Amino acid sequence: MAIEESPLGELIDALGRLETETDTTVTSVRLPVALRQALGVALELGLDTNFNEATTKALRERVELFAQRLALDAHYRVHPHARPNLVELAQAAAELDGDPLAEEPALIERAAGELSKTHPDASADDVLIYAAALRAHRVNA
Amino acid sequence: MSGTIILDNEAVQALSAVSHPKHRRALALLDVDNQRARRRAGEATAVLVPVAVRIEAGWDRTHPRAALVNSLSRARDVTLGTPRANHATQLKVTLGVSVVDATIAETAQRAPRPIRILTSDTSDMTMIAAHLNREIRVITL
Repeated sequence: MAIEESPLGELIDALGRLETETDTTVTSVRLPVALRQALGVALELGLDTNFNEATTKALRERVELFAQRLALDAHYRVHPHARPNLVELAQAAAELDGDPLAEEPALIERAAGELSKTHPDASADDVLIYAAALRAHRVNA
Repeated sequence: MSGTIILDNEAVQALSAVSHPKHRRALALLDVDNQRARRRAGEATAVLVPVAVRIEAGWDRTHPRAALVNSLSRARDVTLGTPRANHATQLKVTLGVSVVDATIAETAQRAPRPIRILTSDTSDMTMIAAHLNREIRVITL
C-alpha cells in the first residue's frame, strides 16, 4: 500500500492541512488538576500566550514526531538500504551539536564498532559519549 | 523547541528521492533528531523550509510525488509577510545572494537557536551565518 493511501498517509495529510486550514473544534480534555495549575503559572511566566496555544503546540509537536517516526520506519522497511547505520547517526548527531567529534569520523566509527558489540541497542548519543571517552583516554595516554 | 533545522533545496531534493546520492545522509540527520526528541519529550527541533526553497525544489505538498518528503521531513513552511520580505530583500542586497538564499538567511535570523542549515551550498551559507552572527551551524549534505 502506498503511503498516501494508508492510515499513515491520512495522518500526514491531516498534519499538512494544519498549514492551510484554520477551522477549530472544541474538545474536552481531562487533565490532572496539578498540571492545569502548573500550566496556568507557566503561562503567566511566558510559556505561551494562552492555554489553547500551549496545548495545541505541545500536541502538534508530539503527533508530528510520532508521524515522522512511523514514516521513517515504513520507509526503511521498503528501502532497507536507505536506513542510516549507527556510525552515520552518530556522525549526524555530532554535526547537529557542533561537537568537535564531528571532525573525527574514524573515532566515531571505532566507538560505534566497539560499543555495539556489547550494547546492540546503543544510541547515537551513547556512541558520542564513548567516543569522547576514547578521545580523553588518547589525550591522557 | 530545541533549536531549528532549516532545509535548503539540496536537502529537499535528497529527502524527496531514494535514488538521490545524499538521501541516506539527509535521513540520518533527521532521524537522529527524531530519536533524540522522542527521548526528551517536549523538546522537538523545529524543521523549517522557506517557501522559496519549496518552490525552487518543486515541492508541491499536494502532489503525490511529494508524499515521501512530506512524511519524512516534518518540515513546516516559512512564509514571509511584508516586514520579513523587506528584511529578506535587505539581506539579498547586502550579501549578494540569491532570492532563495536570502529567504533562508531571513529564516535563520529569527529561528530558535541553535540553528542548523542542511545544505550543499556551504560557502554561501557560511557567509550568511557569519553575517547573521547567531548560533548557526552549516551542515554539508
